[in-house]
Amino acid sequence: MLNASQRSHILVVEDDSKLASALVAGIESDGHQVTWASSAEEGFYQLHQQKTDLLVLDVTLPRRDGFDLLRQIREDRIDVRVLMLTSHNSVEDRVHGLRTGADDYLGKPFSFPELLARIDALLRRILPQATSESVTVGDLSLNTKTRAASRAGKTIELSAREFDLLLYLAENGGRTVSREMLARDVWKESSRYTPLDNVIDVQINRLRKKVDDSFSVKLIHTVRGLGFSLREPEG
Amino acid sequence: MNWCLVKQIRSRLTVWYIAVLAMILAVYVVLVFAFQYRFIRNQIFHDEVQDLVTVEGLLYFDDAGALKLQQDYFSHPQSHLLIDRLMEVHDLSGVVLYRTPNLAGESLGGPSLPNEGDDRFDQRVVRLSDGTHVSLVSHLHTMQGRVVLIRLGYSLAPFRMRMTQFLEILLIAIPIALVFAGFAGYQIARQALKPLEEMASTAKQITARNLNERLLIENPDDELGHMAAVFNDLLDRLEQAFQQLHSFTGDAAHELRAPMAAIRAVGEIALREQETGERDKDALASILEETARLEDTIEGLLLLARAEAARSIGPDNYSLVEVLGEVTEVLGVLAEERRIRLSSNIHAASGIVLSGDRGLIRSAVMNVVHNAIKFSPNDSTITFTHSVAEGQVQLTVQDQGPGIERSELESIFGRFYTSPAGQTAPNSGAGLGLSIAQLVIQRSGGEIFFDPDVSVGACCVIRLPVHRVVSGQ
Repeated sequence: MLNASQRSHILVVEDDSKLASALVAGIESDGHQVTWASSAEEGFYQLHQQKTDLLVLDVTLPRRDGFDLLRQIREDRIDVRVLMLTSHNSVEDRVHGLRTGADDYLGKPFSFPELLARIDALLRRILPQATSESVTVGDLSLNTKTRAASRAGKTIELSAREFDLLLYLAENGGRTVSREMLARDVWKESSRYTPLDNVIDVQINRLRKKVDDSFSVKLIHTVRGLGFSLREPEG
Repeated sequence: MNWCLVKQIRSRLTVWYIAVLAMILAVYVVLVFAFQYRFIRNQIFHDEVQDLVTVEGLLYFDDAGALKLQQDYFSHPQSHLLIDRLMEVHDLSGVVLYRTPNLAGESLGGPSLPNEGDDRFDQRVVRLSDGTHVSLVSHLHTMQGRVVLIRLGYSLAPFRMRMTQFLEILLIAIPIALVFAGFAGYQIARQALKPLEEMASTAKQITARNLNERLLIENPDDELGHMAAVFNDLLDRLEQAFQQLHSFTGDAAHELRAPMAAIRAVGEIALREQETGERDKDALASILEETARLEDTIEGLLLLARAEAARSIGPDNYSLVEVLGEVTEVLGVLAEERRIRLSSNIHAASGIVLSGDRGLIRSAVMNVVHNAIKFSPNDSTITFTHSVAEGQVQLTVQDQGPGIERSELESIFGRFYTSPAGQTAPNSGAGLGLSIAQLVIQRSGGEIFFDPDVSVGACCVIRLPVHRVVSGQ
């Protein structure tokens, strides 16, 4: 989570008010300052009103669509990162979106952890973070160079995939990651389907056995309906 | 004739038929007439020559030096040769020595022509003052020491009249023949096309509702029977597709409705409850799980749509062995967890390159292997074999599970099909996996089926056309 001095300003342009209020609430709870615009015109006005770090832009909007607004933003050379949201989740649309000048692209329906992770990734490009050789969560430490894992000084033998999975969880800093994210970022699969969900579940279980079974403090958590997280339990 | 105006095929056939027949008849009439004309003209010439020779024998100079014709030669005084014969005899100076009375004093052919009748029988046609044409034969003849020019002819009027009559009869016969032929042709065409009309009226009555009706095939060997068979075949496929679509839509709606119902129920209960906290979280988690199920189904449907839209072989070149390697690498952990051994002989054939949509093929193989793992008992083996024959690469996936009933071998590829055994399995999915696999493999020009002859477990066979073989591997 980011501290107050790093609070970024995010503008959400989305015409579906239900989804919009969920987006605003969700992104705000992650520590960002959020403004909502329900149309492209309003969004464009808001962009000129205040300094905006990130624009979450829906493609299908009344009158002027998201691509249209994006084109104008790029023509006017407004300095803002753009994350497009769309239900047309085909490769062609992705390519079109990215060509028009979007920085990232997320298909509906998306999982919230994924949206937050993408937002963070885009903001990180603005706010550089130190990358270190080792990542620690509680008494678990992972060395990204030697790809060695240990907990409380005890080495844990992990397969390559298990290490990648654990590292990915660790790098997300206690945030919940969804199965879609794991499928894409750890398994490098372009589409998610039933077999892979099974594989992820099994892999997490095996990882849990190796990392948590012999310790009283559990680090790997399953968040029902959302995904998994690696963190020290609160309280 | 504007062909657009003649709409019916039978009318068009009849018109064509009549036109062709008329042309043939016209040529026929011209030929017959010309032949007849020539033939009779020759006959007339021949007769005239004969008559001339006869007449030469009958001419004599009487005592007064006048030229006479011996009349008593003809036993029949009314012979038309006698009556119709036109004759004139000149001496070489042009003085008329003899002229038949029916010429009424008129000259037959005028003054002598140079060399006329010199050594053979000259033929020509002359016109008398009353307009009649005469076919004329001239011949020089020496008698009693004097040379005379004999001209002998017959009026062509009767001949011409005959020929005109003949032509008229022919010309009148043609339209009559054409009318009869046209009528007969129309009837024949109608008779021949009648089955077509019946077919059309049957086809007209076939709608989406009674697609099971078929055209009657009277004779499967003739053209119409062949066409009816083709049409029936089309109806077969259409009916099949329609039924598929019908059950598919129903099944899809059901698959989507079940999670929706769960979401709604859980949400409504959660709202009714007074207490909040853990229970709310439970409800929300349950809702999200159902949403994931919905998404899974939708993802499967989209994958199907994508595979269906992929008309031809895709753009990628890939190795099936490589794809299988990736798939087993991903799914290996599932097998390992249940101590299922994955055994394969697959290193030998790595030079074989296939062509298609690699991502789709990978999903297909993934679904097949996942299926095999799902139905395998713990501590069993799944065997992969790989072979190439006749331009096709064959991959078999053999498990030691419960196997597949013969009656299920086809339906197992149906959309939303879940076997009775599979329904209890965890994460059984929406039942789209194998139908996606089948669609993808078929669109890539291959085939997929479960070998009906295996005794233990199930054996899935995938065949795909080889794009090329890279040697030196």
